[in-house]
Amino acid sequence: MDYAQGSLGLKLSIVLASTRMRLINVSRYPGQLVLDIIIPIVFASMPILLGRAGAGPNASAVFEQNTGTSNYVAYMLIGASAFSIVSYAFWHMANWLRWEQETGTLEALYLTPTHRIWIAAGTALYSCLRGLFSAVTAYLLGSFILGVNPFQGDIALAFAFILVGLLPLYSLALLFGAVVLKVKEANALINLMQWVVTFLMGIFFPIAFFPPLIKVISLLFPPTWMTNGVRSALLGVGFFFGAWYKDLAVLWVFLLVAPFLGYWVFNRTEISIRRNEGMGQF
Amino acid sequence: MIGTLRIENLSKTYHVRQRKGLFNSEKRTVEALKDISMQVEQGEIFGLLGPNGAGKTTLIKILTTLLLPTAGHAWVNGYHVQREENKVRATVGCMLMGERGLYWKLTARENLIYFGALYHLSTSERERRAREIIRLLDFDEIADRSVETYSSGQKMKLAFGKALINNAPVLILDEPTNTLDVPSASELRAIVRQLNAEGKTVIYTTHIMTEAETLCDRVAIIDRGELLAFGTVDDLKASLKRDQVIRIEGVIPSKALAAVQSLPEVQQASRSAQNGGNLLTVVTRNGHADLPHMIEALTSSGALIQKITPEEVTLEDVFVAKTGRTLAEDTRVK
Repeated sequence: MDYAQGSLGLKLSIVLASTRMRLINVSRYPGQLVLDIIIPIVFASMPILLGRAGAGPNASAVFEQNTGTSNYVAYMLIGASAFSIVSYAFWHMANWLRWEQETGTLEALYLTPTHRIWIAAGTALYSCLRGLFSAVTAYLLGSFILGVNPFQGDIALAFAFILVGLLPLYSLALLFGAVVLKVKEANALINLMQWVVTFLMGIFFPIAFFPPLIKVISLLFPPTWMTNGVRSALLGVGFFFGAWYKDLAVLWVFLLVAPFLGYWVFNRTEISIRRNEGMGQF
Repeated sequence: MIGTLRIENLSKTYHVRQRKGLFNSEKRTVEALKDISMQVEQGEIFGLLGPNGAGKTTLIKILTTLLLPTAGHAWVNGYHVQREENKVRATVGCMLMGERGLYWKLTARENLIYFGALYHLSTSERERRAREIIRLLDFDEIADRSVETYSSGQKMKLAFGKALINNAPVLILDEPTNTLDVPSASELRAIVRQLNAEGKTVIYTTHIMTEAETLCDRVAIIDRGELLAFGTVDDLKASLKRDQVIRIEGVIPSKALAAVQSLPEVQQASRSAQNGGNLLTVVTRNGHADLPHMIEALTSSGALIQKITPEEVTLEDVFVAKTGRTLAEDTRVK
């Protein structure tokens, strides 16, 4: 038996086993997958219809003046789809820990020689698959329903922003999960976080409208760069630093820093909990 | 070294918040384990006995690396529980939390295969072990049904099976027969004996003394975080004189029970219903020498005595003699 940490192949096999287990689990709740697609469309429809009601036939022109694109429907759909990716990251990572704690399986995971980071990676991969499926399907279906062309701009670049943005996003979600584990409350914290994120990443408006201090805070958050990158690639709203590679480089910096931060906070929290009553206390 | 456990001066304290009304709380320190030392040899079935809240689960959680001790050291299979925690985890099969350690939306087979992956088994090995365990538990017909459809006893058996997935030399079983009916409990104990005969060391916690008596080679009695007694079942029973335990049959009203309990020489007295009357079990300090006082106390309180017998000492009697309480009492630190 391999008592040490194991080879990279073994770790990948554990990540895939963890992802597979969660996919099997969600397959027994098929209604959830339908909701995953509908929610971002409903979420985007509200500001779209409000915009049409408020600005009337000039909605596109007014929107273009402020954002750089007249396609406010795609703008909102991208925002709502990006939000669903971010929201799933926080829900799945933080809620995963809390749910396993409450059902008793978290201690069972801690009894095994697998480091939790690999199980977390499996959960993150599962969450990414669900988030991407939901975001892409909702964007395509929403575009069809609301009458805009989804295939415009540089689609490959948009995916590059999403993929590079996922790792720092999930690292922050892991950090947030550690907070949930310590505080022993998931729903209220995730709800709060979800709306703060919605506000800060500018899902329905450009962050240029923020007061300077809030704008700085918003720019410290990787999903802000991810969302703007996708919008700029598809709709041409403009990169923060003027060129795609500069914005992508910022996301790479997040990618290099955030995993260490997430891992460090998670590890510290874990030790602190094991020193006291243990993971099983909820 | 493999198959052994060594515990040296292990202590565990933790903090809890005691709620006082809606918003106020007070931080309290709980001493869950106090300077515990013991050793378990390879191939033993070792019983860890004590009432609910005695500290058994805390000790097991430290031995399985779920909790960090406040002081002291422990080695499982020769590996230090803090310094070599992955090696400890890889070489221990543990059933803790009973049916709560399972994914209820998955089937038994899916649960076993998933945990096999977490114990670093290859894909084919996971499937092979899952098949073996399903056969051992006689789960062939239900192995592909989701766990949520199982009875409580079936879930407990699966939780036990999960502890076998890594085929570890040491098995730690925390109250494995809880919620099992009598035949299922007996079947599970038979499997434990079989695994022990194959060479596995078993640590078995229970608050059912008869279970420990029939199964364990040696036992440790823990209460309120302290190790009160340690040895073979026969040695512990021999430490209590046979005539220290007296059974009195008859009609014993509550008043009579209270009168006996108030005698200074009586360590513990408990009453149960039997054959339309009562059975009073008394542990005394001086055995039959205390009988006259007891008979006087009983008869003057309205008891009708039919039969008085000194009985075979049980582990429960040993526990009562050591703690002054029955096992039914919850000694969890409040």
